[in-house]
Amino acid sequence: MSGNAGSRLVDRRSFVKGSAAGLAAAAAWASYLRETSAIAAQASGEVRLTGQTASPEEEELLRQVLDTFAEQFPDITVNYEPVPSDYLIKLQTDIAAGNAADVFYVGNEWAQDFMSRGVLLAIDDYMEADGVTADQFYENLINAYTWEGQTYGLPKDWSPLGMVYDPAVLESAGVSGPPTTWEELRTAAEAIVESTGQPALALEAAFDRFILFLYQAGGNVTNEDVTEVTLGDDATREALDMYYGLYADGLSATSADVGGQWPGDAFAQGLVPIVFEGNWMFPFLNTNAPDKEYGIAELPAGPAGKGTPAFTNSYSIFYQSQNPDAAWTLVNYLTGAEGMLTWTSLGLAMPARPGIADQWLEIFPEREPYLASGEYATAVQYGPGGQQFAEDANSVLQLLYAGEIDTTEAQTRLVEAAENALDLG
Amino acid sequence: MVALPGRRRSRDPLAAEDAVAGWLFILPAVAIVGTFILWPILQVFWLSFHEWSVITPERPWVGLDNYRDLFNDADFQLALRNTIWFALGVVPTQTVLGLILAVLANQKIRGRSFFRTAFYFPSISSSVVISIIFLWLYAQRGLINFVLQKMGFPTPQPPWLSNPRGVVEMALNAVGIESVSVWLAGPSVALLSIMMMNIWTTMGTMMVVFLAGLQDIPGDVYEAASIDGASRRQQFFDITVPMLRPVIFFVLTLGFIGTFQVFDQIFVMTSGGPAKSTITLGYLIYQQGFGNFAMGYAAAIAVVLFAIIMSIFLIQRRILGRAD
Repeated sequence: MSGNAGSRLVDRRSFVKGSAAGLAAAAAWASYLRETSAIAAQASGEVRLTGQTASPEEEELLRQVLDTFAEQFPDITVNYEPVPSDYLIKLQTDIAAGNAADVFYVGNEWAQDFMSRGVLLAIDDYMEADGVTADQFYENLINAYTWEGQTYGLPKDWSPLGMVYDPAVLESAGVSGPPTTWEELRTAAEAIVESTGQPALALEAAFDRFILFLYQAGGNVTNEDVTEVTLGDDATREALDMYYGLYADGLSATSADVGGQWPGDAFAQGLVPIVFEGNWMFPFLNTNAPDKEYGIAELPAGPAGKGTPAFTNSYSIFYQSQNPDAAWTLVNYLTGAEGMLTWTSLGLAMPARPGIADQWLEIFPEREPYLASGEYATAVQYGPGGQQFAEDANSVLQLLYAGEIDTTEAQTRLVEAAENALDLG
Repeated sequence: MVALPGRRRSRDPLAAEDAVAGWLFILPAVAIVGTFILWPILQVFWLSFHEWSVITPERPWVGLDNYRDLFNDADFQLALRNTIWFALGVVPTQTVLGLILAVLANQKIRGRSFFRTAFYFPSISSSVVISIIFLWLYAQRGLINFVLQKMGFPTPQPPWLSNPRGVVEMALNAVGIESVSVWLAGPSVALLSIMMMNIWTTMGTMMVVFLAGLQDIPGDVYEAASIDGASRRQQFFDITVPMLRPVIFFVLTLGFIGTFQVFDQIFVMTSGGPAKSTITLGYLIYQQGFGNFAMGYAAAIAVVLFAIIMSIFLIQRRILGRAD
């Protein structure tokens, strides 16, 4: 198994050792990265920052990053207001009340709803003044925050879905390594089901999981300009057949089916040996199943090659911000090489700048397969109305899983859902 | 009733002073109710004729468009259907069970106050906490499935809260009848699971209301009845139930209002899924307003929900309220 390119086995000890060494490296790197900013020279005053925090560690780490910012920019005071849950709801009501923070996270899934309504400040002039260019970021990530030629935020981090597997189970099923194609995935899953009597893979009835098969089959929800729904094509058909085929044949199951809270939890409990999840899985795994061995690989490639969805958040500036100069200075720091490297050293997500990918990899060497997918990952976005579409599409897939409709009907309904919900320009 | 100050002043100066004092006394309540209840309600009506994305200041007038959209919205029809199933399943059951519990807890038996407390306990517990506990109970490897398996019963597949199949449809399929209409498919297994939890939670409340009603029935009525030779069964149906009529009206009204507005349990347990089979009107309002940037449309649904609850109340009052 060790001979398999793009996959590595890690136990906890080397993980911790690697993290410590990497953090030291990150600090050293950061110390010579200090740069002066044209705008920061004059910016001063108060900036409010808000974002979603999934854990106390996350909040603590961001506070550390902000402390470093305060040392470098003593004239700017940052008021950090973390939101532990229902972040989008909180943000919307803050905006409605005219009370939104100057800088806040914007998720890729709803970025277009915000950009198309003019709620975010275009930052192109700031970027130019400070020498920040789009090509310093992964193209597909920064594109998620580009609307009608203008930029409305810089990605703070990202994660694709990758394959996490239990090497012992694969081995005892006679599977020589993590599957690299759809065919190998099916064969491996069949062997695992044969040997363990359990489903091989946890796959939710959710469109943002189905979409990995869609990308791998060469399909997408709409064409690039979001003017036409393309879910009626053969690629969607192929993806649906593969995705539902795994479930119908008992090779995959939802986490609820096997008794887990979510796929990462099902894996941690040993209920399934393979999951397709993001970097956020590892802090969870280290806490809940510290002794569990796991391997990491890229997702299997489909008929159209490799593909995986990318999830990201930006730091964006509210269009009514009273202090946009200071807000930009903060955004520029947090998404700059130094701030981003410190932030991503928590391991929840990866740097959105390919330029610091190598430094990050020194901290998390086993995550190389995740990083490798930066070349082909697609930021999940469906266009304005995407939230409603996701809701409707999930519903179609849940009906499919429950056996209420077949794949042909599911495809018809997915097309309908997209045409009804999306704002096709 | 407070007198109008202007009209009476000439005749009775003290009445005017009373009126001013009266208004002053209720001013805090009026201010609070007005600001936080009346004003938002009026705003909902006003918003329902506008389009508003929440995040932008513009709220263009769209007339009746939001209401017109409701009729073509499959989600609205689904939510309405789910809500009706929910109310029709929960309200009669919790009323009957509440009444039975009240009659039992009204007997002179040992540990009476223990049973009263135990049955009432779910009602005073946080609905979110109860929902989370039931999430565990209903899980694939949860207690309910464990008990069912031990007793040799089949467990639903997919598990309870992930199962969008209609229970009536499943029952009909089992006896060989295929493809019933969507309206007759019945609540999904997931919705039924939440309904059962809801009944368990609220029947204690209803029991307490019925208990209060039972204490109001004079004991000599029962005495007279038993002298006349009425059996316990006759006493229950011919004395207890008719004399509880105003209480039953109250319990049904509370029940319908509560079930038509159900939101928190859905939000915590299923978020409207699987396959939207647990989307209720209350949840759809939330989802449209905050998930789909359509607050005006959400307001229109809220107005329709208000109209539905109001008409149910009026119909009930016509049927049950006459005895007063």
